[in-house]
Amino acid sequence: MPDKKKTATVKGFCCNYTARLSGDVLLEIGIAPDDLQIERLACTGRLEVTAVLDAFSQGAEAVFVAGCRHGSCHNVSGSKRAAKRVIEIKKTLQELGIEPERVEMFLVPRGESEPVVAAYKEMAGRIDRFGRFHKE
Amino acid sequence: MIIAERKPLSEILGMIQGMHRILVLGCRGCVAVCSSGGDKEVAVLASALRLGAVKAGSDMSFGVQTLVRQCDPEYLAPLAEMAKGYDAVISTACGVGVNFIADRCPGVRVLPGLNTTFYGANLSSGEWREMCAGCGSCVLHLTGGLCPVARCAKGLSNGPCGGSVGGRCEINPETACVWHRIHDKLTDLGEADRLMDIMPIKDWRTAGHGGPRKRIREELLP
Ligand code: SF4
Ligand code: SF4
Repeated sequence: MPDKKKTATVKGFCCNYTARLSGDVLLEIGIAPDDLQIERLACTGRLEVTAVLDAFSQGAEAVFVAGCRHGSCHNVSGSKRAAKRVIEIKKTLQELGIEPERVEMFLVPRGESEPVVAAYKEMAGRIDRFGRFHKE
Repeated sequence: MIIAERKPLSEILGMIQGMHRILVLGCRGCVAVCSSGGDKEVAVLASALRLGAVKAGSDMSFGVQTLVRQCDPEYLAPLAEMAKGYDAVISTACGVGVNFIADRCPGVRVLPGLNTTFYGANLSSGEWREMCAGCGSCVLHLTGGLCPVARCAKGLSNGPCGGSVGGRCEINPETACVWHRIHDKLTDLGEADRLMDIMPIKDWRTAGHGGPRKRIREELLP
């Protein structure tokens, strides 16, 4: 059961090798803790479909998954598996009448923070475009 | 095994509209093997329905449980207790499980979470194909082990029909003509002369056309 705590507007699932973003770094570039919540996974291959759907239920308006580029995944095919799950989640969102573009997979270079920040900005832009789907 | 697929979420959400507490009940039998109704799939279904409820601004809550099999009384017994306090149980077993709950669990409102589709084999991860239709009087000894009831679009007992072209079925060129395959298979086995025998008209009473079927083995009865 997901708890009632509201998550950030954008939630990012990143693997150990892609996310190098501390709270301080985020604040420095003007991203408030309520705007972005990052969950580190050992590998995006461990991404559960339920975790993404529950993130939306708990208040996220958009979710991104940042995994290693295909061919450079530390666990060989983890980010490929994650990308397939993201496709499945998009279909589920569509069935529920929620824009599938509210979830996206980003294949990013390892150990750099800029691509993750760029992923956040892209998703924040999509929220601006679509508006909130949660009822106030 | 029995193959099934999840119903569209809008259909399931329509069934539970106005309710408050829902139990999503999985089965670890066939539907877990065909990745439509086991532990993993009920968790995903409950999360999806929860999100659907959030989007609709409803306060509906969802519990999740999975039984070893929903088609055996000993595994179904705990459901009477489990279902207490829920407005409905969405079963992700095949139709057998849903029926069995309806028969055996008075007071439980059971709803189907899946469409039960066919008896099939697992060709590869994520791909299943129909192989048998449970006709109740198997003819596979006459057809090289390939089923004309389930795998011929017309269920012909004496094929192929005139629409078979280059080994493909006229209803869809992606579908192999099973009678073409039966011919090849029997030829390989040195039994091609079987094709000269006309199979008699099939007695469909064993296929359920004589009413619901049951099977009793006296030696196993309690
Ligand atoms: S209830 Fe259906 S899916 Fe579950 S084990 Fe029995 S036959 Fe298979
Ligand atoms: S002939 Fe009947 S029992 Fe035999 S495989 Fe075909 S449908 Fe099943």
